[in-house]
Amino acid sequence: MATKILSVDDSRTIRMIVGRTFKPYDCQICEAGNGEEGLAAAAREKPDLIILDVTMPVMDGVTMLGKLKEDPALKTIPVIMLTAESGRENVLQIAKLGVRDYLVKPFKEEQLIEKASRIVTLQKKPAA
Amino acid sequence: MNDGASYLELSRRYGFAPKLESASRLTQLVSRQDADLDEIAKVINKDPSLRARLLRVANPEAENEAEYAVETVEDALMRNGMGCVLVLAMSTPLAAALIKTFQTMLSLKIEAVDPRTAAPLTGEHLLCNIDFSGKVVGHVLLRLSHDAGRLIAAGILGTTPEEMKDLNEVRDVAGELLNIMTGNFKSNLCDAGLECKLSPPDVRSTGDFSPPVARAGSIEHMAFQSGKIQIFVDVTANPWSDD
Repeated sequence: MATKILSVDDSRTIRMIVGRTFKPYDCQICEAGNGEEGLAAAAREKPDLIILDVTMPVMDGVTMLGKLKEDPALKTIPVIMLTAESGRENVLQIAKLGVRDYLVKPFKEEQLIEKASRIVTLQKKPAA
Repeated sequence: MNDGASYLELSRRYGFAPKLESASRLTQLVSRQDADLDEIAKVINKDPSLRARLLRVANPEAENEAEYAVETVEDALMRNGMGCVLVLAMSTPLAAALIKTFQTMLSLKIEAVDPRTAAPLTGEHLLCNIDFSGKVVGHVLLRLSHDAGRLIAAGILGTTPEEMKDLNEVRDVAGELLNIMTGNFKSNLCDAGLECKLSPPDVRSTGDFSPPVARAGSIEHMAFQSGKIQIFVDVTANPWSDD
């Protein structure tokens, strides 16, 4: 069964890069443009992994992470933060909420694969 | 879950790149209301590129070093105050983030060039703006031609410039580029106790070249070049705002 990954970022560019990054693998990518949509998508799709931005309109990534961890049905979904912000307070707060890993933008696709593969099984698609 | 790890331990665990020491040090010094000018001058004098940039900021009308009226770091600090140091401290991680973004996401080398001698942009171009507010108020403007925007967007999205027909996609990439740059300096400011918030990027096409408005001595103009790609960045900042 394909690994389900939810990408939550207000930037279409980043969502496209995330989609492209996992394209060689047997993954199903779902997308959301802010934390509110991200929570709804998490409840609906039950992803194996969430890749989450911090600064977003409507609901930011820190708020979404907090709400996710409060929800018994969703709290076990692992989250990787993918953000340009790595300030001390932000990082400490996010780590306290229970994030599995943290990747600072700009990033290489290989870095995201490396971090994701420590959390979920990534199976290469057979060559066409 | 956080096991009580310190920021340093978390930085190692997550594999964060080390912060730029001179920029972090400068931001920390500027963040103090009783900032020590001698100490700040010492940090700037140790770094030839910071020194050159401070003198450029302190001599906005000069077209080259021979025309500088302000010739020493100490003089520049006395005349321009902390605003210009803060701009320098912010521009350093900003420029580093731009260079790193090109390296990591485009596999391209981009270099800082002297904005006074760079070929100027003409006509309609992309203007990206992010405002920041809080203990520091200001904005970052990024300008580039539509063609440069297409080249960057194509590189980041893994396609060709010819396929980048949708200008909205080009705008989104330019906005994200600025987001990455400003996110990096915001972390620096917040770590020094200068908490601020960033606005979402505003990206539009314009033929307007009006310079940003800021208090004298608190604007830095920067230019970057990578082959046919030229990027102009203006940073303005006013510290110790009560907003």
